[in-house]
Amino acid sequence: MVREFKLPDVGEGLTEAEIVEWLVEVGDAVTEDQPVAEVETDKAVVEVPSPVNGTVREIRAEAGEMVPVGDVIITFDVEGEEPEPEPADAAADTADDGDDPEAAVAAVAEASDDGGSGGTAQRGGRTFAAPSARRLARELGVDIGAVEGSGPGGRVTEPDVRAHAAADDTGDGEEPEPAVQSATRKVTDEPEPTTGAAGASAVEAAGRDRTLAAPATRKLAEDEGVALDDVPTDETRDGEAFVTPEQVREYAEAQRAAQAADAEAVQAESAGRAAADATGTEATAAGEVERIPYRGVRRTIGNAMERSKYTAPHVTHHEEVVVEGLVEARERLKPAAEARDSKLTYMPFVVKAVVAALKQHPVLNSQLDEEAEEILVKQYYNVGIAVATDAGLMVPVVKDADGKDMLTLADEVRDLAGKARDRSIAREEMQDGTFSITNFGAIGGDYATPIINYPETAILGLGALKQRPVVEEGEVVARHTLPLSLSIDHRVVDGADAARFVNTLAEYLENPELLLLE
Amino acid sequence: MVVGDIATGTEVLVVGAGPGGYVAAIRAAQLGLDTTLVERDAYGGACLNRGCIPSKALITGADRVHGVANAEEMGIHADPAVDMKGMQSWKDGVVDRLTGGVEKLCKANGVNLVEGTAEFDSADRVRVAHGGEGQGSESVEFEHAIVATGSRPMQIPGFEFDGEHVLSSTDALELDTVPDELVVVGAGYIGMELSTAYAKLGTDVTVVEMLDDVLPGYEDDVARVVRKRAEELGVDFHFGEGASGWEPHGEGVKVTTETEAGDESTYQGDKVLVAVGRTPVTDTLALENVGLEPDDGGFLETDEFGETAVEGIYAVGDVAGEPMLAHKASAEGEVVAEHIAGEPSAKDFQAVPAAVFTDPEIGTVGMTEAEAAEAGFDPVVGQMPMNASGRALTLGETEGFVRVVADGETGFVLGGQIVGPEASELVAELALAVELGATLEDVGRTIHTHPTLAEATMEAVKNAQGHAIHTLNR
Repeated sequence: MVREFKLPDVGEGLTEAEIVEWLVEVGDAVTEDQPVAEVETDKAVVEVPSPVNGTVREIRAEAGEMVPVGDVIITFDVEGEEPEPEPADAAADTADDGDDPEAAVAAVAEASDDGGSGGTAQRGGRTFAAPSARRLARELGVDIGAVEGSGPGGRVTEPDVRAHAAADDTGDGEEPEPAVQSATRKVTDEPEPTTGAAGASAVEAAGRDRTLAAPATRKLAEDEGVALDDVPTDETRDGEAFVTPEQVREYAEAQRAAQAADAEAVQAESAGRAAADATGTEATAAGEVERIPYRGVRRTIGNAMERSKYTAPHVTHHEEVVVEGLVEARERLKPAAEARDSKLTYMPFVVKAVVAALKQHPVLNSQLDEEAEEILVKQYYNVGIAVATDAGLMVPVVKDADGKDMLTLADEVRDLAGKARDRSIAREEMQDGTFSITNFGAIGGDYATPIINYPETAILGLGALKQRPVVEEGEVVARHTLPLSLSIDHRVVDGADAARFVNTLAEYLENPELLLLE
Repeated sequence: MVVGDIATGTEVLVVGAGPGGYVAAIRAAQLGLDTTLVERDAYGGACLNRGCIPSKALITGADRVHGVANAEEMGIHADPAVDMKGMQSWKDGVVDRLTGGVEKLCKANGVNLVEGTAEFDSADRVRVAHGGEGQGSESVEFEHAIVATGSRPMQIPGFEFDGEHVLSSTDALELDTVPDELVVVGAGYIGMELSTAYAKLGTDVTVVEMLDDVLPGYEDDVARVVRKRAEELGVDFHFGEGASGWEPHGEGVKVTTETEAGDESTYQGDKVLVAVGRTPVTDTLALENVGLEPDDGGFLETDEFGETAVEGIYAVGDVAGEPMLAHKASAEGEVVAEHIAGEPSAKDFQAVPAAVFTDPEIGTVGMTEAEAAEAGFDPVVGQMPMNASGRALTLGETEGFVRVVADGETGFVLGGQIVGPEASELVAELALAVELGATLEDVGRTIHTHPTLAEATMEAVKNAQGHAIHTLNR
């Protein structure tokens, strides 16, 4: 028997993931729970275990491919059961699970380059729902055909209609999001076409709601693995689109060609990735251009930034703080820390100072709940630390930073940063931040305009800590200074609040012994 | 005396007080709309006055007579005498009671009743001509108009209804003697209902039908049960023959028919009943004045809210298209009234059930197996013969079956065909199932009262699921 394995929801709320690498090949024997693939989710790489003992029959997704959660990515021949005969060709391949309508639908959706639509209860051009639910749909302006039904057989219920209407209100059919969450959460967007769209779009799916055809034509379409509603036609009967067997064959042929082209493109792409970790260049009139897929972590970062910058009006407040006291304190404490097997950087001081300042200016440790029109002031202090990794920016979160001592903070920051860099960090370790710090100065630079880790309200940027000329009592002297860049969400707080917070923070950084009082 | 043009205004004007019009008017008035209902003839329309109700009264009378006269098996020996005038006056009493009820309901709900024939002057005004010479007319301005003018029996060339020799279905319900011989042209549902009823009252009935079977549109195994029973009652069928003419013959008539090949036959009877269908009434409305033109079948096209191509003018019931059934008209009437009142109603009915009051009755709703397959479902079918129903046996009516059609994959009930005793009642359950999107499991797990005919529906559902108890599962 063949067991299909669908890409599981490897992280809360995830809609798709990239297959980074297959750890098995077709024909390999696998045991239950043996890792078969590495999948890159939001910001972490996780291993996907085999659900069965058996042999790998077929790998349905290429390394490097973005796969919607729920798509079949691999099939296994289960031990002790006869493998089914090999399908004759690629098209039969997608249609060979004709018994499993879900898989067939998935295959067709892919072939037609359609991200999946239509409620579950829609069959024969009809949505199964009680009159009360249909009326409610009209009342709420919901297309009942698009509602996912939760009732028996997929019947659409009144709560289904309400849920769909609510999702519509929050945009793009997204689930209403929990009020408090990390900005590192992926911004759900339209499922991306799994492979090069150019080939498949050459034969456009008609995507009708209802199509008339002779039973024999329906059978043919089923055998060919195409959806009748997608087959282009000009013919009508009784005002309804009518499809002939010839049109089904023609469309199926075109789909096969498009799929073959896609498959080639994917192979070329993944081969290129494997060889040079780049995806090839192309010549344009202006010169050579390298095309790099905008995917995975890169796209997640992009989406998060876009959302933050376009949602929260940013204002950035800058200040230079003389930190001789901080430098001296760290120098004094370093050996003691080393004696306790810890390496003391400036970061734990900054985290401590930030928490102390936040306690005096709690509104910066907050989040705007747009929907409820309420500002959520957090009574806990989870400080995110931006970490530059090879894959891109990640923000691990030090939870309950207010309750942790300096060395614990130092160790934890180092651990989290290390995990982020080698991508073993868990999603949970990057969630639920309330305030973030980005230490761009470690690489260089004085001031920046950091983007808030939405939906937090503020982010602190640290410039390079070094000696700079400072005027003291009319004389220019060299002093260790730390340039601060604090970006705030101006919807929640004003520039004056930002300035006062930075003043408090500066006080703690100038005189770190004040932290002893905290 | 000249009664001037009295101009009145109304929010909703309904033309025709049949089951489409009066329901629309009452619903509109309930929703607070100022509503005027124009009726030229009789409240309740064809259904109450000339169709459903009087025919059912006569069919019941005929059943009663026939049932008691053929109950020797039960040990009952009787020879009932039929007083046709008495039966007619009982029937008329029923009709009067119902039509009076409709009028009272309209008034009680605040509907303004206007007697007369409405003609459109423009898209916001009708002229209502009151019946009779010198009765005058009045103009009614409206914001919304609902055309609910219904249908009338269709005539065929050479057979103009005269109520004497050539009868329409309306005339056939008014006879105050039982004819000895009756020629019926048409074996559709009206022809079959009346043929069966008169056969039971003792008439020798000859049915002439152009097609090759009774009840076109019904599946063969359904129609066969009815035809077989009619034949047992002595109805003589002649298929493949069209009525081409008639002439008086003594007191009665001689009807000539012709086959496609040109072979002629003649049949004698006291009268000839022509029941070849009904045609919508749109010719009295001066629709050209609002720019509306009925389609080839005489119907007005409407959208999902019942609105015609002219904004503010709606059509419900027989004028709005097939199926020409009273309950469809009423459902449409409610939708249109609610839509006008701003409610989110629409004609999204999944199925319109239909009943034929033959012997035995037929009740159907939704899709047949073939229609379900055509629509792209993977149909499963379950059937329960009436001869396995305890209640059918105790009624002495064991012909027929209940059949349920469902989607094999999801179990949704898609339709049903019932032929058998009380099929017109039994179909209501399947109509509910289809409309709600109920599954076989839903209906099968619903406990049905024993001993009733309704159990047959539950058994048919379980048969479709492959675990019927009282029949072998196929």
